[in-house]
Amino acid sequence: MQKIVVPGEKIADTPLRLDDGVVEKNATYSTVIGIYDDERKTLIPLEGLWYPRRDDKIVGVIEEDKLNTYVVNLNSPYKGLIISKFVDIPLGAGDAIEAMIKEVDKTKTAILMRPRRLAGGKVMMVKPSKIPRIIGKNDTMIKQIMDFTKSTIVIGLNGVIWMKGGNIDLATAAILKIEEEAHTNGLTDRVHEMLQKGAL
Amino acid sequence: MQQENNVMGDFLKDLMQKGKREDGRTAMDYRNIAIRTNVMPNAEGSAEVTMGHTKVLAGVKVGLGAPMRDKPNEGNLMTAAELLPLASRYYEPGPPSPDAVELARVIDRGIRAANVIDMEALFVEPEKVWEVFIDIYILNYHGNLFDAGTLAATAALKSARMPKAEKVGEEITVIREGNLGKLKTKNVVTSCTFGKLFGTPILDPDGNEESFMDARVTIANDENVVRAMQKGLGGSFSTKELDELLDVAFEKSKGMRNMISNAAGE
Amino acid sequence: MGGGEKPELFKDGKRLDGRGPEDLREIKIIPDYIKNADGSAYIEWGNNKIIAAVYGPQEALPKHVQDPQRAIIKCRYQMAPFSSLEEHGRTGPNRRATEISKVTKEVFENAVLLDYFPGSEINLYIEVLQGDGGTRAAGITVASVAMALSGIPMRDLPYSVSVGKVGDKLILDLNKIEDNYSDADMPIAMSPKSNDIVLLQMDGNLTKEEIKQGLIMVQKAGETISRIQREAIKAPYERIAERYKK
Repeated sequence: MQKIVVPGEKIADTPLRLDDGVVEKNATYSTVIGIYDDERKTLIPLEGLWYPRRDDKIVGVIEEDKLNTYVVNLNSPYKGLIISKFVDIPLGAGDAIEAMIKEVDKTKTAILMRPRRLAGGKVMMVKPSKIPRIIGKNDTMIKQIMDFTKSTIVIGLNGVIWMKGGNIDLATAAILKIEEEAHTNGLTDRVHEMLQKGAL
Repeated sequence: MQQENNVMGDFLKDLMQKGKREDGRTAMDYRNIAIRTNVMPNAEGSAEVTMGHTKVLAGVKVGLGAPMRDKPNEGNLMTAAELLPLASRYYEPGPPSPDAVELARVIDRGIRAANVIDMEALFVEPEKVWEVFIDIYILNYHGNLFDAGTLAATAALKSARMPKAEKVGEEITVIREGNLGKLKTKNVVTSCTFGKLFGTPILDPDGNEESFMDARVTIANDENVVRAMQKGLGGSFSTKELDELLDVAFEKSKGMRNMISNAAGE
Repeated sequence: MGGGEKPELFKDGKRLDGRGPEDLREIKIIPDYIKNADGSAYIEWGNNKIIAAVYGPQEALPKHVQDPQRAIIKCRYQMAPFSSLEEHGRTGPNRRATEISKVTKEVFENAVLLDYFPGSEINLYIEVLQGDGGTRAAGITVASVAMALSGIPMRDLPYSVSVGKVGDKLILDLNKIEDNYSDADMPIAMSPKSNDIVLLQMDGNLTKEEIKQGLIMVQKAGETISRIQREAIKAPYERIAERYKK
């Protein structure tokens, strides 16, 4: 059985190891708004924050062009850093980029690698907790959006999405629908239907 | 993030060149507007206006005070605006910013110049007049606070009740509840604000458009004449553009005046 | 405590607004009220009308306020100048609002898992648009919902309500008139999971026995308040899930 839980709500009378739970007096409580599945013993957050982790793909905007580094806004309390000397493409403040997190230092600053400039297009922000659903199992969801809209879409795990070309309005609408309905069943089919109608 | 984001700017520019806007409007369209009056019944008058995702609340309080030296037979009007930090990631707590002061003063000028309030009806006795306080609270910022603020303030005034002063001996008490009449108003004012985005004038700029436009002009008018104007930001308008925008303002204001009288239950 | 002629606050077992001693006023919470905020909610608690909004966590600025071990919370509680039935109020911070901002901040320092976000700040804004007694309690109650909706992890959802005394009778959830003329007022905030006290203020006169009794009244009312908070948070998700069931 699945149920929606809120912070402080007891989800089990036994101690469970969950990213978004706390154990007190041998019982487990949720720390977020999420869906708890008591058969699979999983807690999936509906509202949650992103913080930098190694190997995460991000989309960000360069906010400062310093002597040796570019400082990247990741839509998070923590910044990304690109070491200029490892970059062989021209970058500047205001540019959107995609990159991988190479490592996260003590202050949670994300050291980025393999930056790629995202020219043109548009950037949209979604709740980071909805990103896995927007990508879908084995990329199925995002693939069907790109197939129907012919838009190029780059998704950052930090909740920033870049898209260009094709039917951007339809792609945006599809992503917003997934963000709102992420916790429901049969979403892939409904998005498929929406794209089919919208793409005509 | 959008503040220093080239991508958003280029995207809007590209759209503008095709004669389009992000939300599908044409250059001279408003977003959806809704007005609800008397939302805060402790205040003598109140109205909440939504214009797209912009949300503004105006509260009107009426109290007793001393008249201005140069206008001993008239009441007083005080207008303030608060850019609440809950309305935007970019607003900060603290004393009113120049933006907030400009917003309040432009709205105040339109209301004052159009004689929306019957100021002479606010006279009580020598040295004692009613004071009208309008506070404009920005609850969610997504552009065009001038028009939303003017609509909210005017609708709040049009639906405001008038307290009574009761004098026993020398003591005056203010009655704020029970069977009261309405604040006396004589006119209605609305405003139309235009932005200049990559060279093209647009009506009712939203938050993203405001980040990239380089000139702004607000035209406040009633049925017959212009009552207040304010040009803002570093860019400019040609005389021909202003001439055209004045026509648009008179045309668009008809619908807004209707909305105000419907919301105020007239 | 108040000046002027004291009205009869309690008559034939009923209060001025018809409530019994342990009755709450009606409470309604609307989630996601401010689109720009990371989390927000609006509450109507009797005649109180209050918005709470959360922005963050974001980089704490200026840098010297940063705590390398945990997030810091900044809280501002403010009453609108048109919020009361009386005179137009002055704007800007005053001593009362500053104190309420501080004790409210401390409630959330307890509830939020601050060590998840070192060096960052969480901004909590509480705007009282209309006040009728008990605004700090209603503000904390709605701020809990706003905080949870922002996705910031919390160990619990605190709620708050005040208990007071008229003559020798304890009453729950004082409105403005009761607050002005009561013999005691004790605002409490609790963490419902443990019934631990996370805010406690008191003014007037109460015996040790009355305090104990008052805390029991608060806990009982807390069951109702917590339920309203949880339902407000869950309702939008349930509405959407319901739409697509079968």
